[in-house]
This record gives sequence, structure tokens and C-alpha cells, in this order.
Amino acid sequence: MSPASPNLTLQSDIPLQTVLVVEDDVLVRLVIADYLRECGYRVYEAVNADEAVAVLQSPEVSVDVVFSDVRMPGDMDGFGLAHWIRAHKPGVQVVLTSGVQRSAEIAATLCEAGPMLEKPYPPQDVVDRIRELVAKARRS
Amino acid sequence: MPPAILVVEDDVMTRALVSDELRAHGFKVLEASSGADAITVLDSLRVDLLFVDIYLPGARNGLDVARHVQACGMPTRVILTSGREVASVADLEDLGLFIRKPYLISRVIDLISHNLNWPNAPKT
Repeated sequence: MSPASPNLTLQSDIPLQTVLVVEDDVLVRLVIADYLRECGYRVYEAVNADEAVAVLQSPEVSVDVVFSDVRMPGDMDGFGLAHWIRAHKPGVQVVLTSGVQRSAEIAATLCEAGPMLEKPYPPQDVVDRIRELVAKARRS
Repeated sequence: MPPAILVVEDDVMTRALVSDELRAHGFKVLEASSGADAITVLDSLRVDLLFVDIYLPGARNGLDVARHVQACGMPTRVILTSGREVASVADLEDLGLFIRKPYLISRVIDLISHNLNWPNAPKT
């Protein structure tokens, strides 16, 4: 199912981080969530921003990084979710992704939305980006 | 290879907690939040057991998903769940087992493990 074998050579230096994957395309979500689990992350899955907010507000869950598609059904898209996180969960890092070139360009200019990945993305790039963000958050 | 369980539940935290617990017991877990997504997964990937809420948002409910499994002749076992009144649990027997909400997650794990005879299933 995984599109490529995860780069496990650096796995030992990854403490258990929790990633929330927000993606409405179920097969895309399953693939990246599976890959992240194989890389040693604890992963929660949300189908839209409303579900993501519910997970982030749950006292039972502590999320380190949100990896979210920009375009999603519902009242809030990935940009809206990124702004919500900045306002309500400022310690949570955000990586946005989009298959639409224009959205990718706009998202890349949003510092608060975090680094941007353009679809289709190699799964290892997601892991690399999460590592960068977590390392940066630890330094600051 | 561990059995693949498809958990279909529109309440995200219920889905996450059940899925987490199943993963902790060694199962491979796939998650879907709607009947349509569940059917997409069933048509795309091997699923050994479907654990599905009967009442789901959208055009396809849990019974539709279970009937899809049956109509396609998939070798997928089915466990249905609901917190609401169902017309007749006996009517569901043709589709699969039924566990009423609220359920203990440990009871769900036991039911699934027993149903799949796993982790004690003989290796093929």
C-alpha cells in the first residue's frame, strides 16, 4: 500500500510525535497516514477541518503537527484551519498541501500556515518537513 | 500479515480511539468516515473485517456498506454497531454480527479477535 519504503535510517532519532492528517480523499489519506505510522509517528486521521478541530480540542489527544490539504469540503478549508490553529493551538506546527498551483503559491506566502507541499508529494518529503518543523519548534 | 480492519464511524474521536486500540493489538486499521468512503476502500484494498456504524451521514449508510460487501461476494466479515434503535437485530444477522453502543472497546477487540481467530490463526 505504501508508495515507497520509508527512510527508516533516521527513525531512531525521532521521538514519538503525534501527527494529525487532514485529507478528504480517503485513499490519499490512508496512504500518507500509513507511511507516517511506518516511520514511527502516532497518527490521527480527520476528513475535514471540523473533525480536525474536534481532535485538537480533545483532552485525550496531544497533537504536535497537523498535515492538511488546503481544499476540503465544509465551512473551513486548510487555510482556515491553519489560522484556527494559530489562534487556539499556537504550539501545534502546520504543514499545508495542495494540488492546485495557485493555492500552493498563496499558501507558501503564509508564514503562519507553515511550509507548503505541492501535490503530488513524495511521502518522504512529508516526513522531512515534519522533522524540520519539530526541530525548529524545539529550538525556539 | 495482520488482518486489515476497516473502521467506519462518523464520530472522529470514537473512530480514533477504536482504531488506536485495534492498532495496539496488532491489527492493520483503515479508517473511513462515511459509507461512500468505506465502499471506495473496500473496492480498492483487501479488508478482512468491516466494523461499521449503521447510521452514517450521506447517501450510503452502514447497512448499504454491509450489503455492498455481500453483493460483491467479498470475503470480508462484518460487525455492525449502533446506539440508536434498529428495526430488528435479528434482521441484521444475514449481514453480520451486531454490537450495541455504547460499547466497551475491549469488548469490540475481543469480538474482532474471536471472529478472525487472530492472533491465533494458523499461518497460511
